[in-house]
Amino acid sequence: MYQGKTVLVTGASRGLGNIIANHFLRNNAIVIGLSKSDYTFNHESYHHFTIDLSDPGSITTSFREIGKKFPKLDIVVNNAAVLTSQYSMIMPVKNAVDMVNVNLLGTFFVSRECAKLMRKGGKGRIINIGSMAATLEPMGDSIYAATKAGIQTLANVMAKEFASMNVTCNTIGITAIDTDMLRSHTPSAQEKIKEIISNLPVPRKAEADDVLNVVDFFASDRSSYITAQIIYLGGIN
Amino acid sequence: MVSQEKVTRLILKVLKDLIDTFPESEQFVPNEKTVLFGQGATIDSLTLVSFVVDLEALLTEEFTQDISLTDDRAMTRAKSPFDTVLNLAEYILEIVDPALIKSNA
Repeated sequence: MYQGKTVLVTGASRGLGNIIANHFLRNNAIVIGLSKSDYTFNHESYHHFTIDLSDPGSITTSFREIGKKFPKLDIVVNNAAVLTSQYSMIMPVKNAVDMVNVNLLGTFFVSRECAKLMRKGGKGRIINIGSMAATLEPMGDSIYAATKAGIQTLANVMAKEFASMNVTCNTIGITAIDTDMLRSHTPSAQEKIKEIISNLPVPRKAEADDVLNVVDFFASDRSSYITAQIIYLGGIN
Repeated sequence: MVSQEKVTRLILKVLKDLIDTFPESEQFVPNEKTVLFGQGATIDSLTLVSFVVDLEALLTEEFTQDISLTDDRAMTRAKSPFDTVLNLAEYILEIVDPALIKSNA
């Protein structure tokens, strides 16, 4: 399905990013993975860049190298995110700043560097991994939800700026999915998530394929007229 | 050699490459007096963005130093460095590392 396509995935070393990177590799794409860890896929079409997504300088430097190595970039999935769920009044400052830097600014800097590469190819797809938190606004997720709402807005504004370059920008609002991030929650946070899930119109966690289905839709060549859209999973709107 | 002539040549090359992508009826030959921004601008704002992106990349490669054409220095000047090709060339010479100019002179 993705033969001849070059796809960049942030946070590719684990969790959902790993699932998404694997999906593209299985479907014959060349995959560029960005993450803070040195993890690499054992796959000839996988190229890893160790990068600190909270550092704009690190992003710019890496993209200079990526631009030299890869003549074109077709698809980017902005997946990397960090999450600390905590009540606002006791949220550690560092965790709050990290969420803004990685989730929001990291997505901004990666997207704009990708757009520069996509412009040369005459088209592209930017897909942001958002969250149900952006619209459900659960207690404890003030910063996380704000960053996820922020990347929706980023995508929508960039959709306008990049439309003339045939680059689309869309967001998938995912629900809870079994990943390292979800498992790292405290037992009380797990309980809270369970309750949120039970109140969804489709009361279950997301499966990997639920996410990949929408990734494929946004990434498709046929989706050139689909931009500045947010698709929530599980019946959220 | 980092000279105004060389910088102007680089600017005009980037500009011409972009103009070449325009429909034939909108193409023109840029020169030192070509207006890039403001009243009488010959390119629209999105083309100007593309121009800046391409020029920054080329200058960074040529001069082996990070060059930003849209930082505070550029944005706070009374007269925009983007009003004409010539003014932009002069501005770039101001922000390129003087040591580099000396070593290339």
